[in-house]
Amino acid sequence: MSAAATSNAQEQANDGVMPQVVRELVRALGRERVLSTPEELIAFEYDGTIERGKPQAVVFPESTEQVSAAVRIAHRFDVPVIPRGAGTGLSGGAVATIGGVVIALTRMKRVLEIDVANRLAVVEPGVVNLDLSKAAAPHGLYYAPDPSSQRACTIGGNVAENAGGPHCLAYGATTNHVLGAEIVLADGEVAWLGGTTRDVAGYDLIGAFVGSEGTLAIATKIVVRLMKLPESTRTLLAIFDTVDDASNSVSAIIAAGILPSALEMMDRNIIAAVEPVIHAGYPLDAEAVLLIEVDSLEEGTVEQAEAIEKLCSANNAREVRLAVAQPDRERLWAGRKTSISALGRLYPNYYVLDGVVPRTKLVEVLRKTYAIAERYGLAVANVFHAGDGNLHPNLLFDERDPGATARVLDAGAEIMRVCVDAGGSITGEHGVGLEKRDFIAWIFGPDDLAAMAKLKPAFNAGERYNPCKAFPTHKGCGEVRQAHIQRTAGAIGTDIYV
Amino acid sequence: MSSTTTASHVDDFCAAVRPLLASDQLQIDESSALEVGGLAPKAIVVPSSIEQIQRVLSEAVIHVVSVIPIGGGTHLGVGNVPSSYDVALSLARMHRIIAHEPADLTVTVEPGLRIDDLQRALAVHGQFLPLDPACEAASTIGGVLALNAYGPRRHAFGTARDWLIGTRVVHADGSLSKSGGRVVKNVTGYDMHKLYVGSLGTLGVLVEATLKVAPLPDSESTLAIGSRSAAHGAELILAAHDAGLALHAAELLSPPATHAVLGQSSWCALMRVAGGAGAVARSLREIDHAATVAGAAIETLESSTAWDAWSTTFRPRGLALRISVMPSRVGETMQVLDRRLTGGSAQLSATVTTGLIRASLDASSDGQALAVINAASEVAAQFDGSMVIDAAPAAVKRGIDVFGPTRSDFAIMKRLKDEFDPKRILSPGRFVGRL
Ligand SMILES: Cc1cc2nc3c(=O)[nH]c(=O)nc-3n(C[C@H](O)[C@H](O)[C@H](O)COP(=O)(O)OP(=O)(O)OC[C@H]3O[C@@H](n4cnc5c(N)ncnc54)[C@H](O)[C@@H]3O)c2cc1C
Repeated sequence: MSAAATSNAQEQANDGVMPQVVRELVRALGRERVLSTPEELIAFEYDGTIERGKPQAVVFPESTEQVSAAVRIAHRFDVPVIPRGAGTGLSGGAVATIGGVVIALTRMKRVLEIDVANRLAVVEPGVVNLDLSKAAAPHGLYYAPDPSSQRACTIGGNVAENAGGPHCLAYGATTNHVLGAEIVLADGEVAWLGGTTRDVAGYDLIGAFVGSEGTLAIATKIVVRLMKLPESTRTLLAIFDTVDDASNSVSAIIAAGILPSALEMMDRNIIAAVEPVIHAGYPLDAEAVLLIEVDSLEEGTVEQAEAIEKLCSANNAREVRLAVAQPDRERLWAGRKTSISALGRLYPNYYVLDGVVPRTKLVEVLRKTYAIAERYGLAVANVFHAGDGNLHPNLLFDERDPGATARVLDAGAEIMRVCVDAGGSITGEHGVGLEKRDFIAWIFGPDDLAAMAKLKPAFNAGERYNPCKAFPTHKGCGEVRQAHIQRTAGAIGTDIYV
Repeated sequence: MSSTTTASHVDDFCAAVRPLLASDQLQIDESSALEVGGLAPKAIVVPSSIEQIQRVLSEAVIHVVSVIPIGGGTHLGVGNVPSSYDVALSLARMHRIIAHEPADLTVTVEPGLRIDDLQRALAVHGQFLPLDPACEAASTIGGVLALNAYGPRRHAFGTARDWLIGTRVVHADGSLSKSGGRVVKNVTGYDMHKLYVGSLGTLGVLVEATLKVAPLPDSESTLAIGSRSAAHGAELILAAHDAGLALHAAELLSPPATHAVLGQSSWCALMRVAGGAGAVARSLREIDHAATVAGAAIETLESSTAWDAWSTTFRPRGLALRISVMPSRVGETMQVLDRRLTGGSAQLSATVTTGLIRASLDASSDGQALAVINAASEVAAQFDGSMVIDAAPAAVKRGIDVFGPTRSDFAIMKRLKDEFDPKRILSPGRFVGRL
């Protein structure tokens, strides 16, 4: 999407006051913490999606006070504020759709405290997810939510998206691991939500804040739970000749009351992308593999691994391999962790969906997904958190092909609709952002959205804090591609709220 | 306690809702059975559908009568004394299981469903909801969620927020809103349901909840380990936790609590060992070994008897307090509490790994209750913790905020309440900061 296509009246309004805003930002934060020339800003026009938007300034505060100062300035001039972590988001959350000031938290990256006895850490929002686990490892602890982007994405971004990851099946997503946060409100006020325990009296505001996609406040300090590294871990690779058999195995494992720490599926196209590069040992002629991990006491993992192997075999697994030693387990995981980037070998562009369905509906929904991709003449590669029912169909394309992007978006919308019709949802962990905001109406009706909308005045957030994100488009967010999505959403149906 | 609503408002409200309800769904008498903080409602409405609740609340707003939603009525003492209480909205007739998908490990229920009925239905499929609040079996799911009630299993399973994945709520204006859904992972829309957990019915009336459920453990056993001191008991528990042993619950009991639960009088680490057979066997071995090394007496108990006795002891009645400190400080806090609260007669139980300490005692007078509250709150402050009063004589509660001082996020909470209930008709005054 070209930046020109997104420009509108709001951006022009920003342009008028922006030179003054930049001057004030420089005065408050120092020249070295403010970017404002067009060349400097290019890297901040996009995140991990195909969305684009041009901010007029990017600031890099290094303290809560500096975040607050920058926010106050933007507030005074009524220009949008867009919080930003590493920019790996997959729903356009950090994109400055209608311009404004991007507040990049990447320089606030200190682990402030690791409290070993109480298994918690206090971190700044720019700490990279994996760095936190690395800092905790010498104490036998780790931070459980592990998005596949964990080498790059920040804890602040994880909090904003309520990020998940392969190991969220047994231990929950970000919301289950965040106890509290210091936040800066849209008017620059600082408050604490939650605390160092769950026993803070009052409404669970930290629970509502996690997953609010940067629309309510900016997190400047975050208190997270750490977990004890397990005594024993076993990783299984189950190989299947049909996707149905793999899906049925997932349902059978969950139905048997086994909650592995991870239960991931990769299909033939993913295997084809990763195996030649990574040599993880995924057979190229398999239709699907399941990567399953259990961790606990040694006795527990032995029992669970045996039970899982039996269930996979009963569902026609061609072979089930077991890895116990760390290097062997890491090799099995290497393919999973690099799978999205490996898709780049096959096609220049991919569009990743994030639907969730009840786990008993996997067979049906995957079949429909393949059929939809085929109907649109698109290749699709599935790599996903099967145990949670969280699908990631990757639609593969080349945006230089005329009409390819539109076809991908249409097919994506149909796949999301299938998830909703199966009793699921349009996003399990990547967020609504810009990308899916007009599909929300498939799930939530006007009264549901009205209740949610009450959070903005409660947080004093107004419409300038990460505007145009997470909720159906309102006036002032108009844009070319959005019109397309609205048409698509309308064509597939605006009728139901599940 | 003066009520802000005049009798004629309530009469007008009753006249307006009568045509909407069957004759037995509206009772007009001051019923002490549903007293909250010493106040009795002037009318009781017993709706049987969401639509009825919507229409009842719409009328309540018009006539500005205050409404308190009531589940099983087992925890009515929780919260501040309401500033006004005209109508009890009993959810007793909405007690269906709407959907249970065993293979998805999810269940959707109405709010008036009793926890014991839900557990029985889930057990048929080898599942359970791992929330075990200390209360009579009559607690309802709506009540448990509104109170954020939990019990010893919090050690392994967290609290209601970790299990609730979707809700439908009727707000003060009669509107019905949905949050979340029926899938276990979902980031569409704000997580409104987190706000309703523990909100004491101040944001709306919960009319439907979808929860994750857990598989019942293959094997389970409960151990009581006598320990010489609070610190020693806490150490035993933390060591077992650090070793990753299969514990579903681990409580540290003060001597009076040990006496109430199992008839002995020492500090006691009460551990519910549960999981796969192999992991349980190994955990039992290791705990036994640790106890032997420490020279502590160890006893195996019948699980349900032991934990039922725990529940009976710690249901909120008389004077019931919850003190929260960092887990690493539980041992010393318990020791000091045991000494300071009525010279050692307080029944104390701590979920050590979460830092949560419960105190249950009978105060002989309001003055004594207040003295105990002050002492406990001093101890909490001494250990950088906080305290909530779950039960206390109404006269004592009237003079204090049972949730303690508000914090920097109170302005947000107040604006949230203003947004959802500008006329303050839902459980007014009962919540934090008397919202
Ligand atoms: C290859 C790849 C794999 C991925 N795998 C996963 C996965 O397994 N699971 C998963 O959940 N996601 C995954 N993601 C998506 C993405 O990494 C996550 O959403 C991540 O949480 C974003 O973090 P970030 O620091 O990059 O945030 P950004 O993209 O910079 O921002 C994301 C959102 O957070 C807001 N934000 C950032 N910081 C703050 C703050 N301090 N306060 C308030 N709001 C803030 C932004 O405004 C924006 O709305 C993947 C992405 C890629 C590219």
